Amino acid sequence: MSDRILGAACLVTSAAMAWAARDYAAAISYEPVGPSAFPLLLAGLMAAGGAWLVARPALRGNSLHGVPAVPTALCALAVLVYALLFQWLGFAAATAAMAVPVGMAFGGSLKQSLAAGAGLGLALFFLFDKALDAVLPTGVLSFVLGGR
Amino acid sequence: MDTLQHLVAGFGVALTPLNLLIAAMGALIGTVVGLLPGLGPINGVAILMPLAFAMELPAESSLILLAAVYIGCEYGGRISSILLNVPGDAGAIMTALDGYPMARKGLGGVALSISAWSSFVGSLIATVGIVLFAPLLASWALSFGPAEYFALMCFAFACIAGLMGDAPLKAGLAAIIGLSLSCVGLDSNSGVYRFTGGDVHLSDGIQFIVVVIGVFSISEILLMLQEHHTSTGLITDTGRKLFNAKEMAQTWWGTVRSSVVGFVVGVLPGAGATIASAMTYSMEKRLTDKDGTFGKGDIRGVAAPEAANNSAATGSFVPMLTLGVPGSGTTAVMVGALALYNITPGPALFTQQPALVWGLIASLFLANAILLVINIPLVGAFTQVLRVPNWILVPGILAVSAVGVYAVHATTFDLVLMAALGGVGYLLRKQGVPMAPLILGFVLGDLMEQNLRRALSITSGDPSILVESPIAVGLWVGAAAMVAVPPLLRLRRHARFHADAATA
Repeated sequence: MSDRILGAACLVTSAAMAWAARDYAAAISYEPVGPSAFPLLLAGLMAAGGAWLVARPALRGNSLHGVPAVPTALCALAVLVYALLFQWLGFAAATAAMAVPVGMAFGGSLKQSLAAGAGLGLALFFLFDKALDAVLPTGVLSFVLGGR
Repeated sequence: MDTLQHLVAGFGVALTPLNLLIAAMGALIGTVVGLLPGLGPINGVAILMPLAFAMELPAESSLILLAAVYIGCEYGGRISSILLNVPGDAGAIMTALDGYPMARKGLGGVALSISAWSSFVGSLIATVGIVLFAPLLASWALSFGPAEYFALMCFAFACIAGLMGDAPLKAGLAAIIGLSLSCVGLDSNSGVYRFTGGDVHLSDGIQFIVVVIGVFSISEILLMLQEHHTSTGLITDTGRKLFNAKEMAQTWWGTVRSSVVGFVVGVLPGAGATIASAMTYSMEKRLTDKDGTFGKGDIRGVAAPEAANNSAATGSFVPMLTLGVPGSGTTAVMVGALALYNITPGPALFTQQPALVWGLIASLFLANAILLVINIPLVGAFTQVLRVPNWILVPGILAVSAVGVYAVHATTFDLVLMAALGGVGYLLRKQGVPMAPLILGFVLGDLMEQNLRRALSITSGDPSILVESPIAVGLWVGAAAMVAVPPLLRLRRHARFHADAATA
């Protein structure tokens, strides 16, 4: 990814922002500056910055060069799946499931990562839910851990 | 005298058993978070903030917790710099330059203890600085109107962009992205929903914690995959544990100088510990390095940046408490924490919430003393943390981050948004876009828009009010200087370098 792409992304985002903000208007206006002015100002600044990056990119090469692509993508996907399953599977089970791909991406073996995940899931559940009163979902393990 | 009275009352707040325990816990957690490479004060504070809220701690207690974590991180960062040559957080980069060579010479224990001592001196000087200057600044800032506030926030962004160094444009873009994110949700003045796409989850805006944890913690984990560190380079033979009187005398004035400079840099909105430690390291090098020993394990090169990063971190409380404009990414997160309690920092805080402000200041003194005590004798225990393998550590960080996000609204939506922002944050960081201005923008967005609209309402739309008062004009000039001067200096240095090369 080069700065040109970042600049282009800024231009597209700012255009979308400006388009969405174009007709924000208060039903009854009692002030000279309405709800659309500030977003439009920001969209303008973002467009200017994006245009500058497209015209004069500081970073021309591929910034993602040398990134371990497979582990990074795997981790990012694991975080997303973790987010989706968090409530449904419950904290302890979802954490154990998440720790397998993430742990393995960070050099653990399958067994190590699963053990770490299960341990973390249960230990953190008891720490936060039971000891510190931050309520967490129990999901599929609700028959042992109680709650929802 | 007034100040002294308030300070005594503040110690009354800080010395309650709960707050004392919280300060000690925060100091301990902060040191651990600080020494772990990849986790800095922003992550520590961001992860603990929702938990403190979920545990229903009172506002002053959770602020004390976060402050102790912040200062603790500045202590902890040095440990991995010295023993592993990997800075534990950004403020400790400079410490590695002389700290690691010292450790390799068998002086690791001396480097660790002298840096704990100079951290202590730095924090102490800066806390005294807060006591002396913050009330003055607050009473002066009471006269600020919306136009001055708008100019002040632009000044803060100019500072962060100008001082961020190589990419002011990208720092500016980051700030604009942050400001744009803060526009999402209900506009309280007009009742219009902005950028929600009709989704009910976005109607009261994007949760602050989701943004912070997404762009800092989640993206950090993805970045860590590339910069895998192992504990193989860890130096375990640290030799003599404590510095001696000669070493203390040798570093004393450098420590004091760096503390004062660090405090001043920390007070500037936007500039923080990283810049302060880099500045003071090169300052000390110029002033005292006669034999060219800096970089080869000079004890003065360890003491100076450590004093500076602590005093800058402590100093960054000044603009946060007095102006409501945070001085660093971490204090920006604390402003967000106070917002959870419906407290808006600003000059009125000193009169409306004296227990909160002075309790915090008093706990800075206490936390600092606790940190000195735990950091010299217990440093060996902390180094054991560096041996925890990443395949346990990273899933653990991820799980605790998710708990933090979930604690606020208990929705899957927030967790998914966290994952998405983490991905976007990762790509932006790979592209050299710094995240601290983004957080600053997100925190200040609403305040900035409100002040702009209020200012323009006063004159029914005439923008000349923005440059009417001398204070506002001063801030605009300062902002312009902050953006223009550093690149010009760089250009001049560059030109001189080329001239030297041509004559040589």
